[in-house]
Amino acid sequence: MPLLPFVQWCDQSALGHALRNSPWLFPAIEVVHLLALALLGGTVLIVDLRLWDIGFRGQPVAHLARDAYPWMLAALAAMVLSGMLLFVSEALKMYRNDAFRAKMALLAVALVFTFTVWRKATLRYDGRAPTLRGRLVALVSLALWTGVGLCGRAIGFV
Amino acid sequence: MEVERQFPVNGMTAPGVLDWLAGTSFSMYLRESLWTYPIIETVHVLTLCLFLGFTLLLDFRLLGMALRRVPAAEVVRRLEPGIAVGFAFMFASGALLFSGDPVKFYGSVFLRIKLGMILLAGVNLLIFHATVYRGVQQWDRAAAIPARARAAAIVSILLWCGVVAMGRAIAYLLPA
Repeated sequence: MPLLPFVQWCDQSALGHALRNSPWLFPAIEVVHLLALALLGGTVLIVDLRLWDIGFRGQPVAHLARDAYPWMLAALAAMVLSGMLLFVSEALKMYRNDAFRAKMALLAVALVFTFTVWRKATLRYDGRAPTLRGRLVALVSLALWTGVGLCGRAIGFV
Repeated sequence: MEVERQFPVNGMTAPGVLDWLAGTSFSMYLRESLWTYPIIETVHVLTLCLFLGFTLLLDFRLLGMALRRVPAAEVVRRLEPGIAVGFAFMFASGALLFSGDPVKFYGSVFLRIKLGMILLAGVNLLIFHATVYRGVQQWDRAAAIPARARAAAIVSILLWCGVVAMGRAIAYLLPA
């Protein structure tokens, strides 16, 4: 695997050592990861529920999505950054962790879906009435993000 | 009858009811289960998206930072049912996690701080609803959000961030 040298380099980096040697840095970064999770999940959820026709029913879908989108991006950035720090502190362990691998694969699918299909179905739908397509998009989005979250939780268990 | 038990912190004794709870087959089942406890932990973490995600969005709206196209009154009305459902799941899953090892958790100072912060957040919410929120129809049409509404939002954000931090502290600093 061509990835292994990079993973070893992460593992042995000064940052990796610093994170491992501090008793409180890892939990502190986890707190950031969890707060960002709440915000990312919350923003995705209000838009997906709206697509399904639950919640902000008075607002056009695009209206709500445009308001939620910057916060989703900010939360995603915080999630990825804190996640990278968590990864660096135990890179080799993560490299061999099946739940982590599944999480990264699902995350890639979720990101591609979110920035193509989901983005188009939300930001560019000015209507209020639910559509079959919108509901399907909401279901796939929720399933993908829930999958990422479940795999994340499973990292500690496998 | 109170059973004496040495405590993880400052040599206190746990209330007898917790010793009783720890001895029930329900508590032992939770403690020793291969899947049940991790599943409850997972529910506790992922429900953060509903409970805390909605709470943060509501608070950001009161600060004029998020969902600005939607009136504050509508944001409160639409998000609070989700927050209530989320809180019920957080509380129930948290109570189950506690029941798995009640004596150990009772000894955690971080759990006490966490519960104190949750209580304060609840009081903050009640005050918000009883005071400044009553006039929401007026200030929703004005350009500025009242300082008391902003203050309630900031207090809420700080307390809930603290609650999450305490939750992590409980997991890391409790002697196994």
